[in-house]
Amino acid sequence: MINEILNSITFIYPELAVSIFLLIIVLVDLVFHKDKKYIPYISLAGLVITGILVLNQIGITHFAFVPQLSAVKKYGMMTIDPFGSYFKLLVVVTSILIIFFTIASEEVIDLKERLGEFHALIYGMILGMLVMISASDLILIYLSLELLSLSSYVLAGFLKLRERSSEASLKYVIYGSVSSGLMLFGISIIYGLTGSTNLYVINSLIQGPQINLFTLSFSSILMFVGIGYKISAAPFHFWTPDVYEGAPISITAYLSVASKAAGFALLIRFIQTGFTSFISEDGYWTLIAVFDWQALLIAISILTMTLGNFSALWQDNLKRMLAYSSIAHAGYILLGIAVLSNQGLIAVLIYFFVYMLMNIGAFYVVMLISNKTGSENIDDYDGLGAKAPFLGVALAIFLISLTGLPPTAGFIAKLYLFIALIDANMIVVAIIALLNTVVSLYYYVRVLKHMYLTKSEREQENITPSIGSLVYLLVLLIPILFFGIYFTPIVEFARSCVSLLGI
Amino acid sequence: MNTIPMEYYLLISAFMFSVGVTGVLIRRNAIVVFMCIELMLNSANLALVTFSSFLGDPAGQVFVFFVMTVAAAEAAVGLAIIIAIFRNKLTVNIDEINIFKW
Amino acid sequence: MSIYDVIFYLFAILTIGSGYLVVTSKNIVHSAFYLLFTLFGVAGLYVLLAADFIAIVQLMVYVGGILILLLFGVMLTNKVTDVKIRTGTIHIIPAVIGTGLLMGVIVSMMLRTNWKSEPGELPFTTTYGLGRILLTDYVLVFELLAMLLLIALIGAASIARRDNE
Repeated sequence: MINEILNSITFIYPELAVSIFLLIIVLVDLVFHKDKKYIPYISLAGLVITGILVLNQIGITHFAFVPQLSAVKKYGMMTIDPFGSYFKLLVVVTSILIIFFTIASEEVIDLKERLGEFHALIYGMILGMLVMISASDLILIYLSLELLSLSSYVLAGFLKLRERSSEASLKYVIYGSVSSGLMLFGISIIYGLTGSTNLYVINSLIQGPQINLFTLSFSSILMFVGIGYKISAAPFHFWTPDVYEGAPISITAYLSVASKAAGFALLIRFIQTGFTSFISEDGYWTLIAVFDWQALLIAISILTMTLGNFSALWQDNLKRMLAYSSIAHAGYILLGIAVLSNQGLIAVLIYFFVYMLMNIGAFYVVMLISNKTGSENIDDYDGLGAKAPFLGVALAIFLISLTGLPPTAGFIAKLYLFIALIDANMIVVAIIALLNTVVSLYYYVRVLKHMYLTKSEREQENITPSIGSLVYLLVLLIPILFFGIYFTPIVEFARSCVSLLGI
Repeated sequence: MNTIPMEYYLLISAFMFSVGVTGVLIRRNAIVVFMCIELMLNSANLALVTFSSFLGDPAGQVFVFFVMTVAAAEAAVGLAIIIAIFRNKLTVNIDEINIFKW
Repeated sequence: MSIYDVIFYLFAILTIGSGYLVVTSKNIVHSAFYLLFTLFGVAGLYVLLAADFIAIVQLMVYVGGILILLLFGVMLTNKVTDVKIRTGTIHIIPAVIGTGLLMGVIVSMMLRTNWKSEPGELPFTTTYGLGRILLTDYVLVFELLAMLLLIALIGAASIARRDNE
């Protein structure tokens, strides 16, 4: 027993590093009352170390924490595989980018004494996400989801003096608690049906003949409600616009990329480990015939895409528009999963990498402009092309990539998605996705029109970004343009990371 | 001792769950919504303990232990947020907080 | 009808009745006290299911912790003599129909499934078994729970504290 635990600790080095640095941040916050400016750098150091530990893990495929006292001694509570390591790397890189984001954001600089708690809560989110990505036991899934959610509720409402912030936080708490309550009920029914909480054991047990299919479907749908809330899938997306609008912009950027990535990793692992009975030669999954998962996923993704794109058309607040756009992107990514094939999974992995770059970039430019002008309304972007030339070009490239036009990496991501759809003979769905992309073109280009073609009413001074911001934006822009033309490295990397630990 | 069949406990759990979901949908005071969420979590806990008892597997009870702790943490954070809102707006009525606006 | 059946029905009626009254009561403080009775009822049901440790933890954590916290919340955010009026009748009928449907679905599902059930001797006390399994099989979850409590503590204190500006 002790041997098993000691052996398993070697597989959770990243999570251990995050926990240790969380404690260090809390202690430093306590010891140094006045001087809080070193805390972001401690966070960065911790994340770099975690990143190195995750990179070490990329080749490994193993179970960790196999329960010794239960009947089945083969499957562990955590699964380390290349798929999980890819998403963990994504989360760590996003976190590093967001820490730099918070150093530049004025909302965070104004926090002064509460900066230590801010970073401690971000570390709480990171720990929750890392465990969620590789959890293969329902208890661990529930707990890590709650850890991520609790930290997010507090971070969304962190600016106490702004009304929108606390409203956003309350809405987030209520939606989140109800969804996790529904998910817990689903988990309890699955436990009752199969007698185990491990996804692999559940997989082998639900293939037996005496399982009542209606009960299993009902409980799976309840679990899907819980996961769907995290990834902002319609009809569970109603919290997203308000929370994204009310939260501090660095947290909005973080939630829209990392939290969604962890949620999608969980969904993919849940479907593949819990419900897949067989993977064919060309990578198509055969799901255990509970109910028509594929139809449900396709319906939800179409609903999500359409709602996200059509609601974004009317938004004047840029944060809210980007919130609806991220809902639409969640819809596209869900399509990649709905294909139920390894090819779709590769498309999802590529899409997340590109989505991270472009979404964080877009939010960063909005943050810089909001630092200077104090507004996120689209009318205040008039004439920005002349006043802030570099920012205008940067935002233009990010928005073009979000739409999915060449020669940006966004086009490559959408291309692989469409290739996966067409290979699976889902032509109608591909056409719907294409139409949605065309609709999204309108609201992205509308920002460009305001920036370049509309003369501003008021006199504004030039906005020159600092050297740090310039470097940051270049770090995000160059891969978007480079990988738009030469995209083989990402594709190969994604292809090698697709395998989940098999049954 | 166990002459009560499993289904009776599950019926109580089902009733509490449905009532809790309804409460979340129709009540307008944020604290009462929290109480209904606790009701939902308790119903899931009851289902878990029932299954654990009739399967002879302690994993269900361990899970309930964890869920109770998480529920306590969630209640603490939720009430802290409600207090923060109350300081700003002096109301905890969800309608007045514009929660479900488009 | 043995005494255990009578006790079961008593606790069942306590739980169900109080649960219904939590949602439908017009006064918030009354709702809080009905929640107290519901939690007591559930603790009693846990004892009947031979989960003694969980029953006591329920009493300590839920009744002694969460409910007190909710009462604090109620007291801090309301005038205590206020009577909260339900929103108009528009929302009630669809809600009742929805609940009825949901309950019907869940109840029929619970009754028709043949649940796995292993008839065996129930353990006399569960504390030993739970303690052992908590620190060997589920030690990762246990440690993660500790982190969650730390984060909740930091977060709740950060949000609820009054800033001295």
